Amino acid sequence: MILPGNTMRNPSPTRRGANAALLAFFGAAALSIASPALAQSSARDPSAEAFVQAKAQRVISVLANKSMSETQKKQVFRQAVDELADVPRITNFVLGKYARTITPEQRARFTPVFRTYAENVYQSRIDDYRGEQLKVTGSVVRKPGDVIVNTVVSGGQLGQPVPVSWRVLGGGANWKVVDVQFKGIWLAITQQQDFVSTIDNAGGNIDVLTNQLQKGGSGRR
Amino acid sequence: MAPMRSRSIRLRDPSQSARPQGFRRHVAVGAMAAAGLLAAASNAQAQAEATPLASAGPASNDPLEGFNRASFKLGMSLDGALLAPITHGYMAVTPRVVRDRVSAAIYNLGEPNTVMNQVLQGKPRQAVRSSARFVVNSTVGVAGLFDVAAKMGLPPRGADFGQTFGRWGAGPGAYIYVPLMGPLNVRDGVGRALDIVTDPVSLFVGGLETDFGKARIATTVVDLRARTDSAYHALDDAADPYVTTRSAYAQYREALVREATGETEALPDFDAPPPEPTPSPPAANP
Repeated sequence: MILPGNTMRNPSPTRRGANAALLAFFGAAALSIASPALAQSSARDPSAEAFVQAKAQRVISVLANKSMSETQKKQVFRQAVDELADVPRITNFVLGKYARTITPEQRARFTPVFRTYAENVYQSRIDDYRGEQLKVTGSVVRKPGDVIVNTVVSGGQLGQPVPVSWRVLGGGANWKVVDVQFKGIWLAITQQQDFVSTIDNAGGNIDVLTNQLQKGGSGRR
Repeated sequence: MAPMRSRSIRLRDPSQSARPQGFRRHVAVGAMAAAGLLAAASNAQAQAEATPLASAGPASNDPLEGFNRASFKLGMSLDGALLAPITHGYMAVTPRVVRDRVSAAIYNLGEPNTVMNQVLQGKPRQAVRSSARFVVNSTVGVAGLFDVAAKMGLPPRGADFGQTFGRWGAGPGAYIYVPLMGPLNVRDGVGRALDIVTDPVSLFVGGLETDFGKARIATTVVDLRARTDSAYHALDDAADPYVTTRSAYAQYREALVREATGETEALPDFDAPPPEPTPSPPAANP
């Protein structure tokens, strides 16, 4: 639009865009040759998959059940969580480096507070999705006894199936879930960073975290 | 193509059109240069970080934490005063099915950008699939309102410049919180800028200077806020919402990059807490 004689065929945004696209194509071709070979493990663990299929489905079914009262639901949910998850191990994990320095008294206070807090959090996270069926789609053995089981949750109010991954530790008849991942985000890892930062900012005082969890999070409401 | 082109010309004031385009090109060049620097710097950093840290998840690289915490606070109050009421109003007056249609239409407008990035990532097959999605959903799917392509076995696979840089080996760089834009890191901030200046739909149909562009950006913001509403609620449960946001964002973006690279995730050992118990100073990462 600037050069005279070029007004009829305005080359600017379209033409420039096309040129950029062409350049991009060639650049990409060069890059894809240069990219390194990818390491990927493909081993699956059928027993871990069967465990998640049964126990995680149960947790979801409890929350999707509309015939139970809220109190009844809470109770059954608690049981289902115990069958599914290794709560003591998670309790230890979320404390991060402070798991080493916590006193027995502090631990005795923290453990039940975290349990109630985590139940509420997990219940509301799962409620956000309101799916009904869980289907295992595969698993990746990180090392023997440490497996990521991939699932999709569908039905209920979900427009599209939602992928959810479960990290299970153990083996044989003793599998237990220690972490859950939605959209790439692991709940226990996120909680660990949240909690460790809270204790750090309290000068290392674990009781500050316990008090805060007892109140129900940051209270930002 | 012809009517579209003439429309974009008509909508632009010819006397002004030179500047935004020149500007746009400068921005693009600047962003490219920044991206190059970023890739080089983060490669060095990745090597330094190659020894697995004992702490969980991706190491937080947050040298501007003080500033970021203030930004986060400001962002959250702006959200509470402005964006949240608008979004909740929108969510109250529209049923979920309608909101899903809006999300689908907004996603569809981003599909050309997705195609461009899949090409840049060296994934021609995905790029063809995404192109097919765009064509099918824009036509049979009524301007993207219905994801017909997904039902034909072409599920959505998003891609953006931040992910592309990750695929090329760029690390995330420092964390930044920008009020109303939300969490970012250097890599994805540069990526976001490039997503905006090179967006094919903005270039061909109309950018912010057109009514279409304005409506698109407003709808995109409200749609994104509505889709992340449950994440905002989840923050209420956090002991330190700032760190929770930072951690969740880093994990979310790294998962997206792994989708492109096919790498398996490095996870912390579940039973061995990190050794040094040093309270008070925020853990300084190398």
